[in-house]
Amino acid sequence: MISEEYRGAKQWSRNKQAVFTVVWISFLIAAVGTMVFFALFDPVDLSGIFDEDLDIDRDAGYAAGFFFFWILCAICSGVTAFLVRTAPKRDAKHREQ
Amino acid sequence: MNKPQAASMYESAKKIYPREIGGRFDRLSKIATTILLGLFYIIPWLQWDERQAVLFDLPARKFYLIGLTLWPQDFPYLALLLIIAALSLFFFTALAGRLWCGFACPQTVWTEAFIWMEQFTEGTRSQRMKLDKAPWSLTKFRKKASKQFLWITFSMWTGFTFVGYFTEIRQLGLDILSFSVGGWTLFWGLFYGFATYGNAGYMREQVCKYMCPYARFQSAMFDKDTLIISYDERRGEPRGGRKRSVDPKEAGLGDCIDCQLCVQVCPTGIDIREGLQYECIACAACIDACDSIMDKMNYPRGLVRYTTEHSLSNETTHVLRPRMFVYATLLLVLCGALVTSMATRTPVILDVIRDRNSLYRELPNDIIENIYTLKVINQSNAARDFVLSVTGFEGISLDGAGEQLSVDGGGVLSLPIRVRANRENAFGISNIEFVVTAKDDESVSVVEDSRFLGPTP
Repeated sequence: MISEEYRGAKQWSRNKQAVFTVVWISFLIAAVGTMVFFALFDPVDLSGIFDEDLDIDRDAGYAAGFFFFWILCAICSGVTAFLVRTAPKRDAKHREQ
Repeated sequence: MNKPQAASMYESAKKIYPREIGGRFDRLSKIATTILLGLFYIIPWLQWDERQAVLFDLPARKFYLIGLTLWPQDFPYLALLLIIAALSLFFFTALAGRLWCGFACPQTVWTEAFIWMEQFTEGTRSQRMKLDKAPWSLTKFRKKASKQFLWITFSMWTGFTFVGYFTEIRQLGLDILSFSVGGWTLFWGLFYGFATYGNAGYMREQVCKYMCPYARFQSAMFDKDTLIISYDERRGEPRGGRKRSVDPKEAGLGDCIDCQLCVQVCPTGIDIREGLQYECIACAACIDACDSIMDKMNYPRGLVRYTTEHSLSNETTHVLRPRMFVYATLLLVLCGALVTSMATRTPVILDVIRDRNSLYRELPNDIIENIYTLKVINQSNAARDFVLSVTGFEGISLDGAGEQLSVDGGGVLSLPIRVRANRENAFGISNIEFVVTAKDDESVSVVEDSRFLGPTP
């Protein structure tokens, strides 16, 4: 028997699990994405494509790229997690019919 | 799913107070933690050739690794290195289970360091539990405040060190002292510091349980010959308390005295006696705990031990098995490829870009001209002179000077080049090659393909 203080120690609430997992996994994927992307493209070259006058240094370019990837990945996995978790249960459907 | 279970899933997390335990594996983990953290904090301070030995200089897009300078063009090496790292993880997981989790994962290593600071300021497990239950007092405040002080200082130092891998750490230190750190540098330092603080101070085992992909799929690399930490159920059961003088066999008991020490020391709060669980990060604290009890009871050690499923069911454990050969072969091939390609890497890169505005120009005397921009990157650390030539078909030549170029160490030379040929040789599309060779060393040479366009005949 596990002593009383350990009861419930195993659980994070489901919402907390979902939020932190989405944030963390999209962070990791964004880190890899940023690395690959900026190995191929120099932010200084890219800034010229959008706007010749846009005077952006590399640091800001890397940061912008990273947050772009992070937000994109977070939206993607967040929506996926939401749809998977809120999908109608097969059991419930059978019961209704 | 029935109601009570569903309800329990929403139960909020309770804090786990891992109990400290000495022993063989605890010593091992302390050594691993000290070495790994030591490396992390010391490496950015090392110098090589009057510059930082390991510096991923993102603003300049150059990576310095001791004597080596890597460029964005060397990205394949990084990709190969990452694949090798992933394969090694598979290899060691199949061989020895979650060694990575228990001894080398940054999450474990930093958590360990944060727990040391917690023990130093708040005391042992029971003292910490008592302290958390106690009402706020001056002593409680003092203990909590000194813990936070240590944690935050350590986190900030960690963030500073992390940024020190990307900008020169000595200069960064001076900038901090004079309050002139750049905005992004400061941001990433605080970001990494805060992440360390949250992950190692508060989230701890929850990261392994809920957020780590490796923890979920490592079971795919496990088989019955993988080294795992397991409770020997046949020896331990039936468990139960007894006096030291009682012979367990006569009392009808197994060797487990149900002291629950293995549960108390577990950083993820599981009971190893319930079998292999994905929460187990294989830190081996329960082995140390159980061994200490077995010693006290004068029973043989190893009721909880490193073992394999085959060995637990009295079958032979096979270390050499097809899976191991496949992983090992792949690893050897990839490592070989990495070493060979690094060793034979020529420290010069040539990029050729054709002028996009015109296909070709017709000059007097039936001469056709194409325009290119060459980028010559000298990857060695000293300045070098190069000789440029072009080949492909008869009568092709470079126009004028510019055949000899001097490029600074680690520098890039951008060079517009006119290539000319006689009309009768240059009809249609011809493949040509640019060759750049170092003047002082003919083996430092690089060839880049391009095309020469001429009129249709």
